[in-house]
Order: sequence, then C-alpha cells, then structure tokens
Amino acid sequence: MLGMFKAMRTTLRHLPMRKITVQYPEQRERLPERSRGLFRVVIDPANGEPRCRSCTLCESNCPVQVIRVNYTSKYQLPVPNAARIAEARLAAQRDVDLTPLQPVLDDYYEHGTGLIAMLQNAQEAYGYLPRLAIQEISLQTGVSLSQLYGVSSFYNQFRLSPVGKHIITVCHGTACHVAGASLITAAFSEVLEVDVGKTTKDRLFTLQAVSCVGACALAPVVRVGDDETHGRMTPDKARKLVVDLRRSEGIE
Amino acid sequence: MSTTTTDRAAAIQAALAEALHPDSVVAHEGALEIRICAGTACHASGRLGVRDAVVEELANRGLTGKVAFVETGCHGFCEKGPILVIQPKGIFYAHVRPQDVAAIIEQSIEGDGFVEKRLYRDLHTGEPVPYERDIPFYKGQQRLVLALNGKIDPYSIDDYLSHEGYAALADVLAGDDPDAVIELITESKLRGRGGAGFSTGTKWRFARQAKGETKYVICNADEGDPGAFMDRSVLEGNPHAVLEGMLIAAFAIGAHDGYVYVRAEYPFAVARLDAALVQARERGLLGLDILGTGFAFDVHISEGAGAFVCGEETALIASIEGKRGMPRTRPPFPAVSGLWGRPTNINNVETFANIPWIMTHGAEAFAAMGVGESRGTKIFSLTGKVANGGLVEVPMGATLRHIIFDIGGGMLPGRTFKAVQLGGPSGGCLPDEMLDVKVDYEELSASGAIVGSGGLVVVDDTNCMVDLARYFLQFTQDESCGKCVPCRLGTKRMLETLERITAGNGREGDIELLEELAGYIIEGSLCALGGTAPNPVLTTLRYFRDELDAHISERRCPAGQCKALITYYIDAEACTGCMLCAKKCPTSCISGEKKQPHVIDVSDCIKCDTCRQVCKFDAVKVWSGIEQAAAATGQEA
Repeated sequence: MLGMFKAMRTTLRHLPMRKITVQYPEQRERLPERSRGLFRVVIDPANGEPRCRSCTLCESNCPVQVIRVNYTSKYQLPVPNAARIAEARLAAQRDVDLTPLQPVLDDYYEHGTGLIAMLQNAQEAYGYLPRLAIQEISLQTGVSLSQLYGVSSFYNQFRLSPVGKHIITVCHGTACHVAGASLITAAFSEVLEVDVGKTTKDRLFTLQAVSCVGACALAPVVRVGDDETHGRMTPDKARKLVVDLRRSEGIE
Repeated sequence: MSTTTTDRAAAIQAALAEALHPDSVVAHEGALEIRICAGTACHASGRLGVRDAVVEELANRGLTGKVAFVETGCHGFCEKGPILVIQPKGIFYAHVRPQDVAAIIEQSIEGDGFVEKRLYRDLHTGEPVPYERDIPFYKGQQRLVLALNGKIDPYSIDDYLSHEGYAALADVLAGDDPDAVIELITESKLRGRGGAGFSTGTKWRFARQAKGETKYVICNADEGDPGAFMDRSVLEGNPHAVLEGMLIAAFAIGAHDGYVYVRAEYPFAVARLDAALVQARERGLLGLDILGTGFAFDVHISEGAGAFVCGEETALIASIEGKRGMPRTRPPFPAVSGLWGRPTNINNVETFANIPWIMTHGAEAFAAMGVGESRGTKIFSLTGKVANGGLVEVPMGATLRHIIFDIGGGMLPGRTFKAVQLGGPSGGCLPDEMLDVKVDYEELSASGAIVGSGGLVVVDDTNCMVDLARYFLQFTQDESCGKCVPCRLGTKRMLETLERITAGNGREGDIELLEELAGYIIEGSLCALGGTAPNPVLTTLRYFRDELDAHISERRCPAGQCKALITYYIDAEACTGCMLCAKKCPTSCISGEKKQPHVIDVSDCIKCDTCRQVCKFDAVKVWSGIEQAAAATGQEA
C-alpha cells in the first residue's frame, strides 16, 4: 500500500517535468549538421590511463573552437587507478633534488626570462627536464602543467628523459648529408648498439642527430658534449672516437 | 629652425664621439697586427691552440702591445681554418697549427717573408698565393655586410665605432624624420634576406602606419636551413651592425623594444650579441636616452629551442611568447598584430646588417648593384663538394657558375659537377645546364629553386638526387609542427613513397603520386614551411627524372649511394693487396692474402663504406642494379 503511494508520488512529480527522452526514430535529437557524435577521452586498455596527453593540439587546431582543455582539475577523469599510477611514477623519481631549480625560478621572477628560457635553464641544471621539476615550475609559476608539457614536447631541444654522460651529436645538415652523415650515424649506432635519440644502458653515451650545427665547411661534423667538435668524420674515425671515449672512462 | 637642426646634429655627433673610447680600440686601420678568425668553423678546427701560441710567442719576443692581436669574427673562408691574417701586409695563412706560429711571427712580422707551407695554394697551378687580396675566393666577392667581419673584434664596441660604426644611426637621429628613412630604404629596393624577399621598406611602412602605442622590432636569427650559416657569421663577427640596423628600424617605425630570436645551437653568436648589448647600453647607444636625443630602445635576446618552423614569423612570435611555435593564418600580419598582439616588424639578420650601409652610402649606391628587382648584395654559404667552401658575398645577379667555379674554385679533384642545391628544404636542385642562371629572386623562382636564406650546397656525381630529395622531405616532415593536415600527412606520404623508392621497392605510378601530393601540399598548407616543402622533390622530378626512373624501373642507383640498391666489390686489377680495408672492416667480411687481390663477402657486408673510404687505390667499387652486381662479382644475385 505504502509502496504504491510512493510510486504514484514519483510518477506525479515527474508528470509536469520536461521530457528528457525522445521517441526515436520518430523524433531525433538535433545535433549540428556535420556532427558525428561527441568527444570523450579514450582510456588505453593496456594501462588504464587516458590516451590524452593534454597537449592542447586539438584545442588550438579546432576550426570552430569547441574544444577546451581544462587546465584546472575541475572534472575528475573517470580513471580509477590514474592517481595510483601518477603516484607510482612520482615515487620512482623521488630522488630529484629541487634545489638547483630555485635559482632558475628566481631568475624567472626577477629578470622576466621567458617560459622557454626558464625550461632551458632547468634543463641545463638537470641535463633533462625531470617530471618533478616541471611540476614544481607549474606549482610556483602558475603556468599549467599541460602548457609546460606542450612546450617542452614541441621543441627538439628539450629532453624528458635522462641522458648519457657523453652526448654524441651527429650533424645532419645538407652539407654533412652529402658528405655521408648517415654513414657516420650508422657507424655510431652499430658500435654503441643504440638507435638515434637513445642512451646506452651504461648511461655513458647518448646518440642524437641534429639538423645543422653551422660548421658546414668541416662536413661531416660530430659534436661530443657542447664544446668538442670533430670535423671531416669517417665511419672509421667514428668507431675510433667511441673506443677513445670508452677508454677515457676506463672501459676497454 | 635650421640652427636648431644643426645644434641637434652637433649634439648627437658629440655624444657619438664621447661613446668611443679610443684607448680600448683593438683593431686599428693600418697598424701592424695579427688577426685570427674566431668563428665556429675555425674554432672547431683548433683555433684556441693557435691563439694561445700567438699570445705566448708575442710575449716571448717582447712584442706584446707592439703588435696588435685581434680575435675577429668569421673570415668566410671556413674550409681553410684556422685562419691567420697579418695586416696591413695582407698575408693570409691557412690551416695554421700552434707549432707554425713561431715561424710565422719570425718571417712575416719581424721579417718580410712568408712561411710557405701554410700559404694558400692555387688550385690549378699549386703555386702559393701569399696575399689575401689575390686569392680568387676573396677577389671575386664584393663585401658589404661582411666588410668588417674578419677586421674587428666582435667583443669590442670601440672597434666598431672607430670604423664609422653607429654613424648611420647618428645621421638618422639628427635627421629626425622617420618617413624619410623608410623612403630611402624603399628606394634602395632592399628586400628581405631571410628567404621570402619582401620589400623591407614596404614592411616598415606597414608597421609605421599600424595603430598602437607599443610596437616591436624583432630580428630573426633562427637560421634553421641546414647548410646556411651567414646569419651566425654576421652575429658572431659584427653584432653591432645588426643592432644599428635594428635601432634605425625602431626609430623608423616608432618601436621601443626589440627582440633577437637566435638559435640556441649558436652559443658564440649568443655570447657575442649579449656582450654587444651590454656595451651598447654602457655607451648610451641603447636605453632610455640614445645619444642624448630622448629616443628610447632596448633589445632582449630570446633563445630558440630547436624548431625549424620558428623561422616563420608568426611561429617565431608564438615562441617568444612562450608557446609552442606554430604558425597561424595571416592576415592579420605581424605588422598589424604581432608580438603580444602589437604591431611588430620582423627582419632577418642580414637585412638589418645592410641598413647601416644603405643609410651611409645612399639608396642609389645600393640600387646600383644587382639586376632587375633584386638589388644590393647577398651572402651565400657555399658548401658541399666544392673545393673552396665558405661565405661568399656577391652582388645580386651574379651567375651560379661565377659563385661555384670562379669563387669556389670548382669541384674537388676527380669529381664532376652534378647539381647545386639552393635555399635548403624550401629550395631545389639545379643541374649544370642551369648554372648560368642569375641569382635574382624572380629568375631563380622560375627555375624551380629559390634564393632562400642563401645556402648553396654543391653535389657531385657520387650523390644520389633521389636520396637528397628524400633527405629534405625527411627534414620538413620532422620539423612540420603538425597543425595543418596537408603538411603533416602529405609530407609523410611523400616521404614514405620516396623511402620506398630508395629502398628499391618503387612502383609504377609513384612519380605521378608524388606530383599529385606535391600539388595538394603546396595549395593547402598554412605557412611557407609546408607550401615549399615539395620543392626539392619537384626540381628532382624536373631535372633528374632519369635518376628516379632508374630507381623505380631498373632498381638501380646511378650514383651508387642508396644502400639497398648497391653491392660493394673489389676491383682485382686495381687492388694491391695492402690489407688496409680488411683491417678496417668492422664485420671482417674482406678476405685475401698479402699482395693478392682481396674479396668482399657480400653476405656479411653492412655497406658502411669504410673500405671505400680507406682504400688509397680506388679499388673498392660499387655496383648498382641486380644484373650488373652479379656480373661484377661473379656471384649469384
């Protein structure tokens, strides 16, 4: 008896309300003409994380500007273990010392160095941009994490993972290319057993290719670190260079 | 009225004279001095050791202070570094090593002789050429922008001031008529040297007419074209000329703030520019009251972070603002809405460096050089397989043949000319029948190439044109910011097609596919990066179609460069059995007895080219095409 009344009350209460269901297919929801549905963030089944990296590309490219990337975490993403994964990632990086970051941030405030210059200084301090450092920058400057990530992943100069002790840079400018830069890279890649852009397991070498170091008269050019430049390289010299560098580290 | 104008001019001249501290001038015109090139290339060739040796040797001989020692900017003849020049005699030493310094000072400073083994040698006769003015590389040039490069110390503002530096600025400030300045620049027909070749005077006028209190001047030193380094050299060798150009531009358009956007890959340029800014502020040439006139202007350095697309002006502005460097649609042009939404004038380094010369010598003198709509001079960086590479400044309208063969000395011995690549990834390759084309914005565009920023890469018969086209496309594909579809996906598809062709898997119809894609990319791209990206492929199709055909239909690389299509073998007749290649081979796939012809085991060969490079007798050769390889090696293909 009581149950019946309760059901009646619910029915009566909903009677004057606006109907939210549509009699499909007689009636259809009116979507914009070319709409193919609504967006949602795709969750990667492999690790349960959202595939979206908040790079803001879609936001800046959308011709009708209907996408907004929320920099504030107003909406919780429907990922139950996202927080746990983030926590685990941070735990793996706990040893990042944030003291070298402070002068960089001070410089930003005092001299108004731009965002890119600040990231460059931070990279100089660490050799790469550790996640914790980016988070700290975001926290202190109020620049959103997604914007910082967007900028640091756009420019070739920024590295988001640690590098080896010796960074071997092979110039791939036009002059170096016609002089055989790809053979040099192949030789390094073979003897170091890493691909371009990667670091050896012993954290001694990072092999990278750049577009031009501007020393075209000495092509092909290889740089070790920031200061040492080797001109007129050959695959043979490249192998020898690695042997020499390994020897200087006490490895035969 | 006229007296006040004269008073003002006199006051400015007095202020300029005060800015110069004559005691700290390092490079005096006409005095006995040693000049060493401190450019990047000479640095890489070991100039630091030579510098220390010179300082020590001068001290040992008690010449310190008597003979001036100037560390100058780039001399341009980068092939020959480290370079040492004795002035005022004009003796030019190339490839100097520290142990040569003592002899050079003894012979050429204390005595009147030369150290013959370090002199430049004529390419054909082998005769030593002691004097800089006689060397064909310098003789064929007309140096306007590079005039002071290699003469003055870039770290010394006094050197620049003592060479009539900032005189053009003083004149402009004394004249106090921005419109007249713009008029003069327009009359000189100066066009942007960064690549597009837009009239500088018109650009300034737009920026001047744009409404707004705050305006900006930006110097684009994001020289990303692989193979071009003239902007770096100008900034390294004569940063004050660029600053003076920026000051004049700022005065003309009414700006009070400027930025130099420079590549972070150029540490010397950044350091020297930074020093120049500090000195200019100290001497009252930058700041709130320039030369006592009340005109205010200051310059900030903004370092790039390695993105080629940031050479595009709207992307550059986004980058200075601290965003991802992605171009946007124009209009509105930066002259109306640029940096932080304010009217902004962007010019290239070389354009700014031209300004002081034009202001001092007049528009007619500038317009007298060059042809048609292209006036003045242009710096080219001549690199690749050319005998004498380096920076070459010639009047507009010079032929490519003049630049490559008269100034550059032609090809390396034993090689034949195949093509010259102009304008980097936006340009194209021209074959030898096009060598008489004049370097002129319109004429080069008609040929399919562009003047661009001025990179000239010479290619010889050992280079594969298809591979070169693939290389440029890979570059633009890497550097595409990803904003618009034609550039992001179109270049990717073109690259995949070319990679397939160079890997020996070309198909019928690939050429048509490339042409079709190129058309869409050119039409649909947002900025110049995408709009010019297919150019290298299109010129290859136009001038080197037979090479492409050979790759596709015969599976053959005529130049013997595409790894997948070649086989190494040793010519039994030429091989002397010296065993050098066998020793150097990383996979030990070369076998043979001493003094007996060697054989390469093709199955183990990784085609690293080491054997070919180490062989002194040219016995290691390459066959391309399946049948020829089988015939040559006597093995089953």
